[in-house]
Parts: sequence; C-alpha cells; structure tokens
Amino acid sequence: MEHIDFRDQISRNKRNSIFLMVFVILVIVLLGWTISNAFDPSYFFLIMIVSIIFSIFYVWINFYNSDKIAIKSVGAKLADRIKYRDYYRLVESLTVASSLPMPKLYIMESHSINAFASGRDPNHAVLCVTTGSLEKLERRELEGVLAHEMGHVANYDIRFITLVAVMVGMIAIISQIFLRSLWFRGGGDNKNSGIFIVIGILLAILAPIVVSLVQLSISRKREFTADATAVKFTRNPTGLIGALEKIRKENTPNEKVSKAIAPLFFSNPFKRLSSTHPPIEKRIEALKSF
Amino acid sequence: MIEWGIIGIVALLILIAIFYYNRFVVLSNRIDNSLSQIDVQLKRRADLIPNLIETVKGYAKHEKAIMTEVTKARQAMISAKNLAGKVKANGVLEGALGKLFAIAENYPDLKANTNFIELQRELSSTEDRVAYARQNYNDSILTYNNICQKFPGALFASIYGRKTKEYIQIAPSEKNVPKVSFN
Repeated sequence: MEHIDFRDQISRNKRNSIFLMVFVILVIVLLGWTISNAFDPSYFFLIMIVSIIFSIFYVWINFYNSDKIAIKSVGAKLADRIKYRDYYRLVESLTVASSLPMPKLYIMESHSINAFASGRDPNHAVLCVTTGSLEKLERRELEGVLAHEMGHVANYDIRFITLVAVMVGMIAIISQIFLRSLWFRGGGDNKNSGIFIVIGILLAILAPIVVSLVQLSISRKREFTADATAVKFTRNPTGLIGALEKIRKENTPNEKVSKAIAPLFFSNPFKRLSSTHPPIEKRIEALKSF
Repeated sequence: MIEWGIIGIVALLILIAIFYYNRFVVLSNRIDNSLSQIDVQLKRRADLIPNLIETVKGYAKHEKAIMTEVTKARQAMISAKNLAGKVKANGVLEGALGKLFAIAENYPDLKANTNFIELQRELSSTEDRVAYARQNYNDSILTYNNICQKFPGALFASIYGRKTKEYIQIAPSEKNVPKVSFN
C-alpha cells in the first residue's frame, strides 16, 4: 500500500487550501480596485477595507460552521445511536483502522445511495449517509462507502472542498453586488470609468466561472484517492466495488442538493453535472486493480 | 563569504538532524499507540464473551463442550503475557466462536433472541476492529522501518540508536478471518 502516499495528498491539500485563500483575496482586491475605479477612485481605500473585512468575516464564519451548513443545506438529522447501531459500529471500526477521531454521524432522507463528509478538519468532521444507502447496501458495501468518506476526512479533502465552496459562494456574491450596483451609478464625471466598468463587468462575469472550473477540476482526482484510502482502511475493495455497482444500476439523482456541495458526495448527486465525479466505471476499474 | 556558507550548511545539517529526531519520535509513538489499540480491542472482545455464554446457556444448556472451549480460549487470551500470544489466542477464540455460532443455528429460539443477535453483531464488529488495529500497527511499522532503512534516515537511525521493528506475524490458520457470515 506504500505506493500511494497519502501524506503527500494531505500536505498538497493543506497547501492548496492556502493558495486558494490567497487567490481569492487577490480576486477580491482586483474586483475592489476595478469597482472603485468604475465609480470613483477616491473611494478605493474605503471600498477595499470594507470588502476585505467583509470577505474575512464571510470566510471565517463559513469555515467554522461549514459542517453545520452542509448538514443543514441537505436537511440531514443526527443519527440516533440506538436506531442506527450498525452505522455507528461500522464507523467506530473505521476509526480504529484510520486512527481518526470519531466523526458526528448524520442521516439524510433519500432513496438514492449516497453519502458525504464535511467539516474543517478531522476533529470537526461530520459524516452523513442517505437512508437509501442503509437500506440497500450490504454491510461490507456500506463499510466501503463509509471508508471512502473517512478517506476524504483523513486526506483533508473536507477542508479543501469546504473552503472552495465557501469561496465560490463569496465571489458570486461580490460579482452580483457589483453588477447590481451599476444600475445605481450616477453621471460619469470620471473619464476612465467607462473602461473600468467594462473590465468590472467582464471580471464579475468571469470570476465565478473560473472559480467553479477550478472547483470541478480539483474534486475528480480526490475521488480516486479517497477510494484508494478506503481500500487502505478496509483492505477489501469488493465492498466498495459492490456499492458502486449498485449505484450505477439504480441511482436516482437528488434535487435537494445544492451545486456548491456536490463535490462532497460519494457519487454525483446530479444527472447532468457529471464533472465533479469521475465516471463510476473508471472508479470500479481502478479498484479492481488493487 | 565562506564563513557564512559554512554556517549555513551547519545550520541546515542541524535542522535535518532535528527533523529526523522528531520524525523517529512521532513514528514510534504512533506504533505504541496502534499497539495499545490492538490490546483495547482484544479486551473489548473478551468482555463480550461472558455475556454471550450466559445467553447461550439459557437456550442450549447441553452444549457444554463448546461453551467450555470458548471460555477457555477467552481465558487463554486474557492471561497471555505478550501481544503475539494474545493475537494467537484470539485466533483460537475466533475458531471456537465460529463453532458456537454454527451450533446456535440448531436453536431457533436462541437465534431469534435479540440479545444474542446483538452480541453476534458486536463480536463480528470487534473482529473487524482487531484486524484493523493490527493493520494499522503493521502500517505504522512499515513507515517507521522505511525511514530507518532509507538514506539518509538510516544514517540518523544509527546515530540515534533506532532499530527496525518486527511485524505481527499472522498464523496460516488465522488468515481467513471471517469464518461466520452474519448476514
């Protein structure tokens, strides 16, 4: 199992998280600069200070509450320890295999087979499975799915994907504010403002697209790594393969899930947006090579 | 200029030495931790047995032979002095439990008893955990041994007096662990 170095993936995720934050702060500064030029350059510092304070607060609050936000947005409930004893048992076993702390366990009402993990680090991780998974999957298959999610926790994917989701949301908000504020703009006494308005509009339209492209490209590779980590924990790829086969056969997409948290899920919750997850066939193929 | 270069190199070497020192500490602590985890899980397993025996007694009094076998295996596991002995005794216990559960198939009332079902699940789950804890232990040893044997880790290992460690050996009879399927 030594050939897949998970520690590399972990440090890569931590490093990428920092890069991402810097990138987004740069985008905010650029947006602020363009916006202030489009309106009145003398407001530059005021606009910058306001937008930086706003973005720091936004990221901070969302980052620290990411687990609760993700849980709330899909309407999941805390899993009852007595009723879902097997679920707890499987995850407890996986904590032994992975030396991770016990995450909080949630249940989401849905017929499809799916699961996700979230949180800012392994100590604040949450795990959520659909009721469909608990009904339709055999014990080993469910274990495979849970191991995959624990893999996301162990590899710090949850932190990175959460951050990306938060950032994407923030850039979308700023762009919207800018585009809307153009309607309320007064007469053009600044000669350069015309150019900056065009640049601003372009940025406001492009930034969210660029950021979501980044979001899509980063999450696909993580699925393979999480599958590999799951096998490292359970030493049993057949469970995970079985679960993926079942998903391929019968899964119905879930409309309740918002796009921002799609990369968190075990399998793609949408029919059309196939790019957050690699094709199931490819994942099964990779697992069979273990 | 040359002085600064020498100072720089010395500082770098010290940093590398500190890095390796800490790495050895972290990795061997991880081994100790995963080792105690095996112990915890084996104990958990042993604690479930008396309860199981009590439940079985209520429905299948005549199956004394198998119950003594299980109790003895449990006793052997608890009293084993070192981990290798415990792991070996656990293999024996696992075999005995497999037989017990096979016999239980002949007693429909016992099979339907919620307490019995619960214990059966709990025991199979602890079996997983014992296996996982062992994996984790062996993985920790692999990482540690790799750093001890690779260059320049090997150099620092000899300076700090660190030696490679032994894996837990799996007895051939033990390799097919899930003997009973509870599904």
